[in-house]
Amino acid sequence: MKILKMAKHDLDFFASVLPAFGEVYAPVQRGKGFVFDKPSAWSEVRMDYTRTILPPKKLLLPPRETTFSFDPDQGFTDNLAEASKPVVLFGVHPYDIYGLNILDRVYAEAKFPDPYYIARRRATVVIGIDFVPDDKHCAGSMNADFVDHGFDIFLSDIGDDYLVLVGTSRGDDIVVKSGCLMQPATEADFAEYKKRSRIRRDSYKTKLELGDLPEILEMEYNSKVWDDFGARCLSCSSCSMVCPTCYCFDVTDETELGNRAGRRIRSWDSCLLRTHALVAGGENFREERSSRVKFRFYHKQRGFVAEYGRPSCVGCGRCVEVCPAEINIITVIETIRGERDGISSSAPASA
Amino acid sequence: MSESKSVLIIDDDSDFVRAVQALLESSGYRVRSALNGREGLQLAKTTQPDLILLDVMMSERTEGFFLLQEMRRVPVLSNTPVIVVSSIYSDEPVFRVDPETGWLPANLFLAKPVEPAKLLSEVKRLTSETSEKSTAATGRRQL
Repeated sequence: MKILKMAKHDLDFFASVLPAFGEVYAPVQRGKGFVFDKPSAWSEVRMDYTRTILPPKKLLLPPRETTFSFDPDQGFTDNLAEASKPVVLFGVHPYDIYGLNILDRVYAEAKFPDPYYIARRRATVVIGIDFVPDDKHCAGSMNADFVDHGFDIFLSDIGDDYLVLVGTSRGDDIVVKSGCLMQPATEADFAEYKKRSRIRRDSYKTKLELGDLPEILEMEYNSKVWDDFGARCLSCSSCSMVCPTCYCFDVTDETELGNRAGRRIRSWDSCLLRTHALVAGGENFREERSSRVKFRFYHKQRGFVAEYGRPSCVGCGRCVEVCPAEINIITVIETIRGERDGISSSAPASA
Repeated sequence: MSESKSVLIIDDDSDFVRAVQALLESSGYRVRSALNGREGLQLAKTTQPDLILLDVMMSERTEGFFLLQEMRRVPVLSNTPVIVVSSIYSDEPVFRVDPETGWLPANLFLAKPVEPAKLLSEVKRLTSETSEKSTAATGRRQL
């Protein structure tokens, strides 16, 4: 991996090269939150954002997309050209890059690779930046606060400069086009990086122990805490929608009235929704809310570990931020470990 | 014919705009102007000029770069000739990105202060090229 440096005050010049590689999306403020969007001016981009409302997943696996259209006369027409449009995703935090790497495992490297996801991933330049954790981030505990792949370029703050990690040949193309903006990094720069890396690691306010969590989950499978969480859960699915690694989708065919033509739509789904495990005949494998909450956390922290060797939570803190019932990765792990007495306020009436 | 050609100047330096506008109008060009990138892009989309003179450092240091890339994504502006006229090429090392590496889709770069005769000849050349291409395309359609 090539390691260079770039002066912070040259960031706008560096950014002005990026549109040559695709349509640029970057973190910008919208209302009180941050989103990945097309900035109308570079000054709109927020390098200091905490987390975006939706993860970059939304660009690689859109909330709703037409995968193909069909017509009795013309057959099938896929939407791969649309999915192959070049995009530059600037300013992605390492835990979100980790999230993309997890989606890669599921969508690109699994038994049935998904052509739409693969097309988008290949067409997307990922430029990462580091971040200062707040009290909701637990990426350090999830080992997702550093990534060694999944990006084209990664910028780390080392004071007046960024240390520039070049992760791919495409990243190298961007460096070449950036001309003299990039300079060789020095020993002093590496020392500064190591110092700041240590400070960042130590600055996590939320620390979770994952060591024997799969085993503890196994022990607590029939625990009453799942009923407590189920009684509080509103089944709103907000946690899934904002999660960088929730990847369930639903498929529907929309046909035109009076015609057999139509399109196949893929849209995000969530295991928190009652319909997720509903099958023909009206049977539902997870009718109870408690079973749906339990399923989500077992899949993230146990099933995924068994399948891929690591949990699929990246510690972004989005579910901590959005859950109206305080059910999130922190409260669940601490409760299941017996380190807290469930969630603070009283449970709402079960519906 | 240069009399019928239109030029859009996008530059936040109103003195420069007035001077170049007078120069071009005296040579028969119709001239519009915008003092920032957003207004310039809007005007370019609606008026579809035959040529655009574009500054780089406006309200932001690299505004012109982003604007030019954005213009190239608008179908009606994807082939419009653009001359980047900027002081970023002065001796002061403000400009630290090399457009010669091919990332910036401009037709020509001219340094400020620009020589009036040079500017006029380049505007004439680029608008004529567009005209010839347009005539050739029309001719092919007629065939």
